[in-house]
Amino acid sequence: MSESFGIGFAAPWLLLALLALPVLWFLLRAIPPAPKRQLFPAVTLLLGLGDKETQVHRTPWWLLLLRLLALAAVIVGLAGPVLNPSSPQASTKPLLLVIDASWAGAAHWAEKRKQLQLLMKDAARANRPVALMSLTEPRPLQFQPADAQVRLLAGVLPRPWQPSHQMLTTAARHVTEANQAFDTLWLSDGLAFAGATETRADLIAALLTRGTIEVVEDQHGVVGLMPAVFEDGAILLQATRATPGAAREHPLHALGLDPGGQERVLATATLQFEAGAKTATVRLSLPTELRARVSRFSLADVRSAGAVALSDARLRRRDVALISSQAGNEGLALLSPLHYLREALAPSANLLEGRLADLLPAKPDVIVLADVAHLPADQEEALVDWVTDGGLLLRFAGPRLAASDTARDAEEPLMPVRLRIGGRSIGGAMSWGDPKALAPFAEGSPFFKLEIPEEVTVRSQVAAQPDPELANRVIAELADGTPLVTRKELGQGQVVLFHVTANAEWSSLPLSGLFIKMLERLAVSSATKAPDATDLAGTVWQPIEVLDGFGHLRDAGTQPGVAGPALIEAASGPDLWPGVYQSGKRRLARNVLPDGAELQPAVWPPDIPVRAFEASPERPLGGALLSAALVLMALDVAASLLVSGLWSRSKAAKGAAALAVAMIFFHSPPAPAQTAAELAAELRLGHVLTGDSSVDATAAAGLRGLSDVLRNRTSVEPAAPVGVNLDRDELALFSILYWPMTAQQPMPSAEAYGRLNTYLANGGMIFFDTRDADLSGTGRASPAARRLQQIALSLDIPPLETVPRDHVLTRTFYLLQDFPGRHLRGMVWVEAAASEPGATEGVPFRQLNDGVTPVVIGGNDWASAWAVDASGAPMYPVGRGYGGERQRELARRFGVNLVMHVLTGNYKSDQVHVPALLDRLGQ
Amino acid sequence: MSPESPPRASTRAAALRGPGAQLRLRAEEAASPLPPLLVQAEQLAGAVLLGEHGRRRSGVGDDFWQYRPVQPGDSRRSIDHRRSARGDQQFVREREWQIAQTVQFWTDCGTSMRFASREDLPTKGARARLLALATAILMVRGGERVGLTGGLLPPRRGKIQILRMAETWTEEQDTPYAPPEHRALVPHARALFISDFLGPMEELETALTKSADRGVRGILLQVLDPIEEAFPFAGRTRFESVTGALAHETLKARALRDRYLDRLADRRDAMDHLCRQTGWQLGLHHTDQSAQAGLLWLHGALGRSAVQSS
Repeated sequence: MSESFGIGFAAPWLLLALLALPVLWFLLRAIPPAPKRQLFPAVTLLLGLGDKETQVHRTPWWLLLLRLLALAAVIVGLAGPVLNPSSPQASTKPLLLVIDASWAGAAHWAEKRKQLQLLMKDAARANRPVALMSLTEPRPLQFQPADAQVRLLAGVLPRPWQPSHQMLTTAARHVTEANQAFDTLWLSDGLAFAGATETRADLIAALLTRGTIEVVEDQHGVVGLMPAVFEDGAILLQATRATPGAAREHPLHALGLDPGGQERVLATATLQFEAGAKTATVRLSLPTELRARVSRFSLADVRSAGAVALSDARLRRRDVALISSQAGNEGLALLSPLHYLREALAPSANLLEGRLADLLPAKPDVIVLADVAHLPADQEEALVDWVTDGGLLLRFAGPRLAASDTARDAEEPLMPVRLRIGGRSIGGAMSWGDPKALAPFAEGSPFFKLEIPEEVTVRSQVAAQPDPELANRVIAELADGTPLVTRKELGQGQVVLFHVTANAEWSSLPLSGLFIKMLERLAVSSATKAPDATDLAGTVWQPIEVLDGFGHLRDAGTQPGVAGPALIEAASGPDLWPGVYQSGKRRLARNVLPDGAELQPAVWPPDIPVRAFEASPERPLGGALLSAALVLMALDVAASLLVSGLWSRSKAAKGAAALAVAMIFFHSPPAPAQTAAELAAELRLGHVLTGDSSVDATAAAGLRGLSDVLRNRTSVEPAAPVGVNLDRDELALFSILYWPMTAQQPMPSAEAYGRLNTYLANGGMIFFDTRDADLSGTGRASPAARRLQQIALSLDIPPLETVPRDHVLTRTFYLLQDFPGRHLRGMVWVEAAASEPGATEGVPFRQLNDGVTPVVIGGNDWASAWAVDASGAPMYPVGRGYGGERQRELARRFGVNLVMHVLTGNYKSDQVHVPALLDRLGQ
Repeated sequence: MSPESPPRASTRAAALRGPGAQLRLRAEEAASPLPPLLVQAEQLAGAVLLGEHGRRRSGVGDDFWQYRPVQPGDSRRSIDHRRSARGDQQFVREREWQIAQTVQFWTDCGTSMRFASREDLPTKGARARLLALATAILMVRGGERVGLTGGLLPPRRGKIQILRMAETWTEEQDTPYAPPEHRALVPHARALFISDFLGPMEELETALTKSADRGVRGILLQVLDPIEEAFPFAGRTRFESVTGALAHETLKARALRDRYLDRLADRRDAMDHLCRQTGWQLGLHHTDQSAQAGLLWLHGALGRSAVQSS
């Protein structure tokens, strides 16, 4: 490919044809324009008039230029010009493309992928085999032709983690295992891999042994968002970037579910990076309600997992209701049963205090009953309901509970175990033994692996009655095996009983740090700081939702659970995706960036060349030039016509019209079917397609005729009727379906039956017409009627009766006695009236106010009577002479009544209309 | 036919399939130009109903004109006794003077008249026939006798004559530039020749001198298309007559314009000169003018010549 001024040519020799253009100039200019023919009767007067001056007629110079330009464009276009042709790759060694594929590159992934495609195209041109290695998922190297590898590019996606030590080691091993020389192109995201610097150097060294390395680095800065922290009543969000650059703003969105369950932006803020600063901080003050709804924060303009900070329970402050029996206690504060609870919970929860009856309607998350023995019956019932709905009831024992007869004989709903009378004192003045220490928490207990301080001792407690269930309910016990904390599930909630007091009276537990951790594990309080690994020892966390590299949350599916300490300490990877994890009732968010993370820009050894992404990809110009030539030629046609005088306005208009038609022909999208939205926009009558074309055509024509009648006479203005395919079309859009019966009618599918039954149940009406009243009047069932019986067997059709004389169908619009169609005396069946209220004396109608009949069945072939052709003339004869026309009119009136009945229901049954109807009936 | 699809109203298309349909269709097509021409002509004539053909003086005629007292010299037989019996004075009943004129028409039905430069203009022939027929209607209403030159349709009065004339004019001739028909002219009658007069001048000369010999005076009405007056052409052009028999090609039509217009003016001068010699009148009508203007001029001109002749 030869190249000059940024434009290269695939076939430069073709350009020699340009030399032929001057020759063409002389050839073209010699042809005069054709004469124009003009009809002119006065030609007799012209005969003998010669031209005085003889003028050589030549093609105008501008027309010549136009033609030559068109030709030149064709020649140059065929020569294959390419703008910004990429410089050829000199080497013919195999090429290894290394991609970081971490979250840091996700923000500009499309650009990166394009870059990869370009590189592969170049490699394909140079005939170099290519291997692809993404460092976040290292696989053995496979050198393949570049064309094959391009197809695999779509599968390479950024992962929500950085290449870890282990991944880099694996990558280096794969490089060493590949027994061939190759050059390396490393597409870097621009981040140093935190904690894996040495391994990275090893990898570079391994690559250098195989060939050269060239680095293409993402020049966009990497921005990450750190987890949200709740501090002093506001949410603190901190973002960091790898390279301190110019001042920059990032919009920040707080996302969460609204009360309707839709995820939406709940709050916005702006993160402002000062010039030269690496971090930016913003404080977000949100109402408690809103704060509890926030599920994640994200930088709106950065599409990367690193720009998402998932929030967990740490932002959520639970409402805890504290209730003790000692109302108005004027004793010492330190003796108050609630004092230590208050101290333990105040930093992390909203405390509510008062009477239970007042607090329960506030729906707290946790209710703490400290030494409350008895509750009024109604409050107890309400409390049971609250626990069953998912509340956590935390009870503490105390002198009152020990002295009362609560849960002595039978297990109470709000008490996990039965209690023995009197309780137990250990190590007091009047008892043997020392105060007991706590036994290590058993596996399966929520407190498993919590460290037990030695100074925690228990002097008194209430004792549980031995019980078959007891062993399952104990979650903490003393060294001698006596239950200390028991728990029972109640509905969706749970009841937990500490067998000691909430103050330091019976034990030193409330004085220790263990108490707070136990409350945290019970999800009474939520930690304000990130838990450390030891806090989570012994727990298993199940991923609920995980982040992909682009920062989208998706369902975790069947990913295995993660041990608690690993969740905090281990690096993210395929085994530990960033996301939301759950253990029991607690939720923890694992974010891409931990608290206080710093982003380090990648540093390359000085001998490795580093370049940025190519800005202007090569662009072939041949197509554009060839189409320009086409346009020029079209112009030439018009110009030639103009010059030779053959251009006329009508011809131009015709040509333009033809061109427009051609454009429409080429660009017209396939004719869209009537969408549901279009059908729903206007009232339409529908008829069920039977598969018999003549019956369907008659039904369509009949409904068209009925629609015309409705439009002319009533305020119902239906649009053109529609044929309805039971298997495909949405039935709910039609208020009435006309269903002509044929003996050959196929049975509807099971799905169609389901839709029909739904349609009937939701107020639709089907109007069956067996079209056989001329035959079946004698009482003999026709084939169509038998088919109708078979079809209707699976439909939810209520009991039927022939239309009674006072049915509302007889007076919804017209007053009718019978309902002729094309046939005169077929019976019409409607839903039977539910009850038989007696007619009031002197009023001709019973009071039947409910229910539009879901089906109307008859055989009078109404569609034929209604049917009109395109000019609005009736299509089929009805009856004879004037009487026939009267019959047709009555058929139309019946149609109007039927549609009115569907649309207005039993409006005309209302007694309000009785006087007017009586007046019209002449009674 | 099945009962589901009873017979429908027969359509025109179905009727055309019959054996006699073609003949009837052709007849209809042939008859169709006649009524519009008649209707147009009637409408046109209706606008000029008040002519000068009522003589407004006593003379030989059928209609009552006035009673006047008997004067010496009146024969006794002329006394109107019914009127005279009412009083002592004797009256003579006078009748309006009525005299029947004869007007003979010739319109050019040659191919050169079958030309209109724009679609919204009538052809010259259509306009010529319309004017002639409207004039004939006016004449018939005035009680004159009308007919065609050439013995094809001798002058008669009555509405049926209009129909016959219209029927004759529906037939087109294929002569490129038809010479005026001057045979079978009734002596001392009047004549109306309508044409574009673009044919050979000699024939027109012959026609006019022959008719002048018989004491026939009349009117020449030249009907021209606007482009024949304007000659709005430029560039290389090939001019053709309607039949294509005559053609003239030029490389620069614009340069021809002045010389063409000179020739047209010369032709008109020659016609004017001829008319003055023979006592005829010359009129000019363009198809883009309204037909009414042409009719008014014709009517006035005929009236003038009537006054001159009486």
